[in-house]
Amino acid sequence: MIPLIAGVTLRQVGRQRRMTMLILLGLVPVLISLLFRLTVEPIGNDYIQFSTGILATFVVPLVLPLTALLIGTSVLGQDIEEGTVAYLLAKPLARWKVIVAKVIAGWCLTYAVVLLSIVGSGGIVLFGEDAISMVPAFVIASAGGSLAYIVVFVALSLRFSRSLIIGLAYVFVWEALLAQFISGVRFLSVSAYTVGIADGLTDVEMEILDGTLAFAPAIILLVVLVAVGTWYSVRALTRYQIAERV
Amino acid sequence: MTTETSTTDRTPEATSRPNGAAPVIGLAEVSKWYGNVVAVNDVSFDIGPGITGLLGPNGAGKSTLLHMMGGLLRASSGAVSILGEPAAGNPEVYRKLGIVLEREAVYGSLSGWDFVRMNAKLHGLADPDAATRRAIEQVDMGHAQDRLTGGYSKGMKQRIKIAAAIVHDPQVLILDEPFNGADPRQRLHMIDMLRAMARAGRTVVFSSHILEEMERLGDRVLVIVSGRLAASGDFRAIRRLMVDRPHTFLVDSTDNRRFAQALVGDAAVTGVELEGDRLMVRTNDYTRFTLEAPRIAQGAGITVRELAPSDESLESVFEYLVAGVRGGAGEAS
Repeated sequence: MIPLIAGVTLRQVGRQRRMTMLILLGLVPVLISLLFRLTVEPIGNDYIQFSTGILATFVVPLVLPLTALLIGTSVLGQDIEEGTVAYLLAKPLARWKVIVAKVIAGWCLTYAVVLLSIVGSGGIVLFGEDAISMVPAFVIASAGGSLAYIVVFVALSLRFSRSLIIGLAYVFVWEALLAQFISGVRFLSVSAYTVGIADGLTDVEMEILDGTLAFAPAIILLVVLVAVGTWYSVRALTRYQIAERV
Repeated sequence: MTTETSTTDRTPEATSRPNGAAPVIGLAEVSKWYGNVVAVNDVSFDIGPGITGLLGPNGAGKSTLLHMMGGLLRASSGAVSILGEPAAGNPEVYRKLGIVLEREAVYGSLSGWDFVRMNAKLHGLADPDAATRRAIEQVDMGHAQDRLTGGYSKGMKQRIKIAAAIVHDPQVLILDEPFNGADPRQRLHMIDMLRAMARAGRTVVFSSHILEEMERLGDRVLVIVSGRLAASGDFRAIRRLMVDRPHTFLVDSTDNRRFAQALVGDAAVTGVELEGDRLMVRTNDYTRFTLEAPRIAQGAGITVRELAPSDESLESVFEYLVAGVRGGAGEAS
């Protein structure tokens, strides 16, 4: 059941125009990296500085949450909006399977875009450098980050009809703006968890990341968020009612 | 089959049931409200095998009732059961229940075949291909099964939705306004299909706001008005109830004044009103009046140019039934 629902969702969301936009967004850091590589003659650890900047301050806090937001709010939100959720609910099917399938589909799509961004930009800038080891660190960390964001946005789409706007506020106001001024926000920020995990997975010294979450709390908080978010979504879908709407 | 007809909203059995057996669909004192708005108000009835139609104007609460019967909406109070089990929060009930909602929702990126097959697989059927083939044949959509459902017409979407709902050969089928968007041929085909299901012992419940659809399909009719059960019974009894209410006729004749005088003496006429060239006649016996009026005119040497009921819209029929419900009216059969 899970592969079936996930497959239909991939087909349904993957064909949307927003996927093209997201792929273009994912290509922006790749293009910037290409320009950097072609036009700048780096000195010392400029490669590392630049790549860390692109990955930790552009891809993870912007490309990743925006992609996850647009995909996460539509994997189930589109079914709710269009009424096709009835085909899933009017079946002898455990609700957790629906949520797991939707999360997997959203995760695959989000991760594909983020992977393109990380591998593309990191590979271009750090190719042939020792610091290339930070790329797999971000690849692994963003897998966790993508999952957490998708779980959050699927839950949001079940709770609010205007989940996209609320999600945008979360990404831009909470994670991007408040996180800069209030250090405590990093404990409730998926991008902070992602950067913390990436930092913990590589030996490359990334100065820009000083003061981020340590590896262990980042992992723990991410796992807790995924578990709580999934539990909430299963509960919300179990209680979900299809009201008359024409 | 019981053909009891009533304008009360309490427990008129829509069908007979075997001794002590649970009804196929049972509603007991069911209400549904959204904030201060009452969508369904203390409705009770049982439904058994065969075809039952829910008739009522738009916004009467038919869809809310069907959503609750289909377990997709919880009642604010009261109990809804399907085959003796609670309908809401009980996914297992869908092994025996199929539901077709009014919204034109299909997975547009899937072909008709893939869409129905997806539903077959979600039901966990042993042979989803065979079930899909059978369901698509039943709704006569084989010719378009390989096209994407997103490109289907409204009527085609409706039929593929029905195929998806019957792919597991359910014992109970609930359809909300199933004939919307269907052309006459599709409509006839659908009626034949639903009748065949009823003959096979299935329970089919559908809603409509169109009287003619009820006449063609509804063995039993539940009239829903303003969230309450206004009447129930077989279609003929419901129609009689609608016909035997007070009617107003608009008359045009060669001499309206003399015709009005002649009509006043008839027992079927409860009042006449002459306003300029317009003659309005009120009667509480539709059949008798339409038989007597031409005879009275002939006797008085008057030619009747037009004699037409002025309040025959379904809305006016429902208004009358609502008044009956509010007044706690009794029987009308």
